[in-house]
Amino acid sequence: GDSWGIFTFLCAALCNLPALPALNCSEELGAGQSIQQTYDLTRYLEHQLRSLAGTYLNYLGPPFNEPDFNPPRLARTERVPSATVDLDLWRGLTDNARLAANYRAYSRLLCYLRVLDGQVGTAELRHRLAHFCASLQGLVLSIGGVMSSLGYPLPAGPPAPPGAPLASNDFLKKMDDFWLLKELQTWLWRSAKDFNRLKKKVPPAVVTLRLEAREF
Amino acid sequence: THIQYERVGADVTMKCGSMDWDAAVTWTVNGTDIDESHLNGSYLILKNVDLMQNGHYSCYEGSSWHLKYQTYLRVGTPPKEPVLMCRSNNYPKGFYCSWHLPTPTYIPNSFNISVIHGTKEMVCEKDAVPKNRCHIRYLQLFSTVKYKVTLTVTNALGKNFTTLTFDEFAIVKPDPPESVVAKPVPNNPRRLEVSWQNPSSWPDPESFPLKFFLRYRPLILDQWQHVELSDGTSHTITDAYAGKEYIIQVAAKDNDIGTWSDWSVAVHATPWTEEPKHLTTEAQITETTSASTSSFMAPPTTKICDKGAIVGSGAVAVCWTAGLVMAAYSVLFI
Repeated sequence: GDSWGIFTFLCAALCNLPALPALNCSEELGAGQSIQQTYDLTRYLEHQLRSLAGTYLNYLGPPFNEPDFNPPRLARTERVPSATVDLDLWRGLTDNARLAANYRAYSRLLCYLRVLDGQVGTAELRHRLAHFCASLQGLVLSIGGVMSSLGYPLPAGPPAPPGAPLASNDFLKKMDDFWLLKELQTWLWRSAKDFNRLKKKVPPAVVTLRLEAREF
Repeated sequence: THIQYERVGADVTMKCGSMDWDAAVTWTVNGTDIDESHLNGSYLILKNVDLMQNGHYSCYEGSSWHLKYQTYLRVGTPPKEPVLMCRSNNYPKGFYCSWHLPTPTYIPNSFNISVIHGTKEMVCEKDAVPKNRCHIRYLQLFSTVKYKVTLTVTNALGKNFTTLTFDEFAIVKPDPPESVVAKPVPNNPRRLEVSWQNPSSWPDPESFPLKFFLRYRPLILDQWQHVELSDGTSHTITDAYAGKEYIIQVAAKDNDIGTWSDWSVAVHATPWTEEPKHLTTEAQITETTSASTSSFMAPPTTKICDKGAIVGSGAVAVCWTAGLVMAAYSVLFI
């Protein structure tokens, strides 16, 4: 009788759920979409970098463009921020720390890339580097946008870009370039994983459902 | 006991211990006397040996029949370059390496594996089963430095080695998806519902999601159709040929890095087809009579079980239509 009526009403209400307007959740939805966009940007950049790195390494010449080239890491090159991290530490990063690490890394990598851009020989390579830098700038801004929408403060600006190259000879300078590209590539791989984790942890959109009370 | 290893095709000279060359001796192999034609004085000469010459060789002094020397002859080859493979099917936990020899050596071999990451040497823990396999745990993630794995094979006749150098990301290859199930969709002659599970070896699908590749074709055709799915572990095929049996497989890949898994176990399914008419009329009569009586009557069993549904990992027919029908009846009696 009446209980059957309630049951039918609830069914009808629940079936119409997707059509109800989302209330008070535009911020969470905004962050969620920004994270997705940032993730997509890292994938796009990773794809761009693959062809750019190939061209640049060929410009540097052997042994830098050899697939098995596996040089030891010199201490001097640690100024380029490394994506490498202890597994448990990476897992335990707070959302803020995770985003900040990405923001800082790409800000600094962008600086070094811009320096590279100024020194490169061919016009085609300069043009491609400039395009990549522009996309990378977009990524930094995108990460900043996510941090702001979640209420996190942006990390302090990167240190002033290096003036004259610190490398003492031509070969060491090329090594620096090699490691810069390597770190950039690794960061883009890492960011995809960072943003996957963030995607899951940003709170889902909250929808309020109002049911009219019936007199029984 | 002494074992003597010799190469296939070699000429072997066996000396009878400390006996002089001109001493009178008798040689036996596996207890059987060896003909004098194979002797050069007291030395046993075996030319161009092969596996047939494997055995227990003994040398006895002529008159006293004292055992002066014995050995086991094992004929084999030095190892060829081994085949080494390293793979991470449990990213980000670590990776495993497995190896084998391309051709048998016929004699015992020992394997030594070394893993170098930058300047650090890592220990690859040998697995009990399977034997030629070891695994490593990642201490760090997102490394820019490559891993260099060297496998050395040694036996009594020689040694050989091979090296693999790779980036952490390059060797990621998940195991195929598990529990692939394909079911027809009732009243939809062109649909098949496919579902599967992440491989159980993949430790963290939340942070490291997998994407999937589905392929399907009717048994009577050779060409596959493909669908790539970026999330979710199910998919409905909507363009199946009515009444044709299909073969379906799924593969998995980390969303961003590495390579595709092997194809899953193949699953067969046929889309739903309309039942012949006389069975339907029978069911309708049963339905109308049970509404007016207080006893519950089950519909004829021939209509319940969904013969088209087959689970890939076991031969269990799913009879879920029966559950739905019974639920519908019980609601009518509230």
